Amino acid sequence: MAAGSALLVGLVEEFVSGQQDSKAADTATGLKAGQFTILQLVEALGLHLASSQPQTRARGVQLLSNVLQQCHGDLTEREVDVLLAFYENRLKDHYVITPHVLKGMKALTKCSVLPPGSAVSILKSLFQDVHVQVSTSNLPCQLKGLGADFVFGFVQSVDGERDPRNLLLAFQIARKIIHGGYDLGKFTEELFEVTSCYFPIDFSPPPNDPHGITQEELILALRAVLTGTPRFAEFLLPLIIEKLDSDVQSAKVDSLQTLTACASVYEHKELAEFLPGLWASLRREVFQTASERVESAGLAALSALTACISRSVLNSDSEDYLNVFLDLVLKDCQHHLCEPDLKLVWPSAKLLQATSTASYRASHRVAAAIMPSLIEQYNSRTQVSHTSQLGLKSSEEDESVLLDFRQSLCSIVFSALSENSAGLQITSLRVLTALSQQTVLLLESDVELAVDHLTKLILEEEDAKVSLAVVECAGALACLHPLAFISKMVPRLKGEIFSGGLGSKEHSQQAVRQRCLTALAAVSSRPSVVQESTPVLLQVLTSSHTGTGSFSLEEVISVCHNLQRIAEHAQDTEETGRVFHDIIIPRLLGLALQAASATHCNPVIIDRLTVCPGQVEVPQMDRLLLELEELSCTCDHPFSYTSAAKCYAGLVNKRPAGESSSPVAKALLLRYHPLSTALTDKLFSLLSDSELGSIAADGFSLLMSDSQDVLNRGCNADVRIMYRQRFFTENSAKLVQGFNSAAPEKKSGYLKALSHIVNYLPRQVQLTELPALLPLLLEALSCPDQAVQLSTLSCLQPVLMDPPSALITQLEALVGRTLTLTTSPAMKVRIASLRCIHALSRFPEHEIMPFRARVLRALAVPLDDLKRMVRSEAVVARNEWFLLGSPGGR
Amino acid sequence: MSGGARLENANPLIFQRTGERLRTANDEDEDVADPIDDREIFDLIRSINDPEHPLSLEELNVVEQVRVRVDDQENTVGVGFTPTIPHCSMATLIGLSIKVKLLRSLPERFKIDVHITPGTHASEDAVNKQLADKERVAAALENSQLLEVVNQCLISNARTG
Repeated sequence: MAAGSALLVGLVEEFVSGQQDSKAADTATGLKAGQFTILQLVEALGLHLASSQPQTRARGVQLLSNVLQQCHGDLTEREVDVLLAFYENRLKDHYVITPHVLKGMKALTKCSVLPPGSAVSILKSLFQDVHVQVSTSNLPCQLKGLGADFVFGFVQSVDGERDPRNLLLAFQIARKIIHGGYDLGKFTEELFEVTSCYFPIDFSPPPNDPHGITQEELILALRAVLTGTPRFAEFLLPLIIEKLDSDVQSAKVDSLQTLTACASVYEHKELAEFLPGLWASLRREVFQTASERVESAGLAALSALTACISRSVLNSDSEDYLNVFLDLVLKDCQHHLCEPDLKLVWPSAKLLQATSTASYRASHRVAAAIMPSLIEQYNSRTQVSHTSQLGLKSSEEDESVLLDFRQSLCSIVFSALSENSAGLQITSLRVLTALSQQTVLLLESDVELAVDHLTKLILEEEDAKVSLAVVECAGALACLHPLAFISKMVPRLKGEIFSGGLGSKEHSQQAVRQRCLTALAAVSSRPSVVQESTPVLLQVLTSSHTGTGSFSLEEVISVCHNLQRIAEHAQDTEETGRVFHDIIIPRLLGLALQAASATHCNPVIIDRLTVCPGQVEVPQMDRLLLELEELSCTCDHPFSYTSAAKCYAGLVNKRPAGESSSPVAKALLLRYHPLSTALTDKLFSLLSDSELGSIAADGFSLLMSDSQDVLNRGCNADVRIMYRQRFFTENSAKLVQGFNSAAPEKKSGYLKALSHIVNYLPRQVQLTELPALLPLLLEALSCPDQAVQLSTLSCLQPVLMDPPSALITQLEALVGRTLTLTTSPAMKVRIASLRCIHALSRFPEHEIMPFRARVLRALAVPLDDLKRMVRSEAVVARNEWFLLGSPGGR
Repeated sequence: MSGGARLENANPLIFQRTGERLRTANDEDEDVADPIDDREIFDLIRSINDPEHPLSLEELNVVEQVRVRVDDQENTVGVGFTPTIPHCSMATLIGLSIKVKLLRSLPERFKIDVHITPGTHASEDAVNKQLADKERVAAALENSQLLEVVNQCLISNARTG
């Protein structure tokens, strides 16, 4: 023991006077080994702790705290008690000691044997003596006992805080206080005041902020506090109304979002008093809004408010606030709807819509009030915008609300359908779709009338947008009322397809057929319809093969595409499966194999097969595969052999297990098949081939991209997750290595491959990998291949938005090379490079100011570009650069 | 400039914003030259901020597409703007903002004429003369306070595209 205390004195001496930090660890080890006790340590420190030099005292406390951090588990309750008393006392000491005291206290609070009641006393002394915020959140929950005193202490210590780190912490603590059920007592208002004085938060982090606290974090943290309890309502709501008067857009948006958030917590009794004020502010925001963000935030807030009042349970003696509120809304909005001056119609309609989507009762009220006048409007004056609102509105309402208006709505829709205006037709189609979703609204006769109208539009309407809307509407209706479509539309369309009147109107005839085919595909979602529609399509194929019909090649291909669409969208039931298996596939295969002499459309037909759901076993698979393999290797028609290869890939991908062009490699890669490595290695070796290098590099693009036609999830291909990332991690090193060792004239192949691979990686992966690949990518910008330039620029641009420091050191090269590309012969390269230059203007000002004059001069050239799209990018970029470093700019 | 708490025209009429220009097939075609047309010029100036209101010049109907004349061959651009009220003291500033925006956004070959729509402002001639005088425009932009206000009219515009 004597040896122990001699050792201890030595250690203490070396730490405190000798300034050797490592001795703290040695002391802790000694303590753990039982060579001395904690109390002996305190005794040995005694002299230093009583020193007249604050630094010496600090050093002493530091040693004790360091030791405690490591040994707090070994302490007894009595020891903790004594130490706490010591530390609480030390808080009153010189400020250089405080940090060490706090560290020690923190260590002590982790003790499992913390004496009851000590947390309270710790906090009391903390609030009393410490003038900086500390993390109190990890202290045990005895705090509740402290109640209002604790809240008051908290309020006092937060007051006037400016450091964003402490604020964030303070907001989190405040939220815990609110949610943890602490007794706020008479300090409710104080707690609100001390936090709400930061609302709305206006904080822009310094450029090199190491803490990474964003304005968004602060806003959310503060919002959680303010909206945390209904007890704040009486203070918060006036504040929101006040802040909505602000000119600052972000303040408005923040206020509106806060309002939305609190509406989900509050009840009508909190809101009641402020409803007129809130409504006035909301109305003003929507009526006079300058920005869509404010407007949509305002509408969301209105919805939330309405939902909140609708949700509340009323007392027998209280007013129905919903009614009162809706009266306000209707009074202010309704008359605008009938005004010939269109200025406020739209905002009013939006407000009403927001209100009525909030709850059933609200929608009932609103619909009952405005429907009659809207219908009257329509009848007296056929105006597109009026009916548009009608359309939008009715889609939101509930069925029973509309029941009363069913008759007049239907007649409006049908009369609008026969109008000449495209906008009106589209809107009425949308209304029709909405009506059809509510089964009771459309009677059998209405549906039939609707189908007639739709058929007529398909046959006669030339406008592409209207046709699209018709097809969508028909698709939606056919899901619900297949019978009407089978009996009315399908036969009409079939007749039209085969009527084949050639003559002078051949072009329009083709267009009509196209639309018929598309419509057939669109309505085929129910098995019963599929059964009727697919034979029509197959019949077209057959007749084109036998040469009896007068179908052009495009029409045949479009038939195939539509068959594919049906296969993709039809409800995947056993019944549909059987239709495909029994009828379609055998017929298609028959057609395909019969005419394997490589006409264009054969591969297309076979293509469609690969779409079929996996469980439908394709008959004669082996024979087909052989056929395809031969086709892809021997045929010299490029379209045929690529489709054949794709097809082959599609089938291989679906094979249960076991089966050398890139599509095949891709099929395997998607499944993460072991064979794929061999194939990609082959591609790598081709990169340095002087003739095939460029094609091989493009092969990588094929490997990484989403395939449009065959190898995607829509075709039921087996796509493993993250195959791109895996491919990248496995191969990027090979690529860099290959680049470094390749002869100069062969480097471009590697650059191309790299830019293709990086371009298809998810953003997050790009951001982390880019610093390492940056030199190569900069190199790629000067590569003459336009495709390489384009894909490099497009993967650089998102990175420039949030520049890593590696980029800043390369600024000279980056600016020079992107500026050169603004005069590239390829429009897309010019656009992409201008976007990058725009992004560069967000870099820290002192880094890019030296380039300002040069960039402005260079950007004057694309202002006069041949292409408008290039000019507009140049305008945006150049104006940003003008604002840089200019007063009032940034 | 806009420091006064009292607005000259506190409750202006607000007009609908035009939608984005529709892309055509020609826009995507590398080989077709797109001439600079009225709509393109209008798109440059319509989102300039009013110095008084948080609204764009388009929403206040200060600028309209019909008052834009461009001749790509002759290298001339003419823009007429209509102050919301005949005594609007902001007229010069608005004109200057339009002019600066066009100077920054158009090729140098263009001669840019920004003027008040005839008969819509009390001191129409004086303002037009100021805006047409190159030296005075240049001198105005040397004044950093004025430049700050102009930049602020253009800034949110650059942000929202």
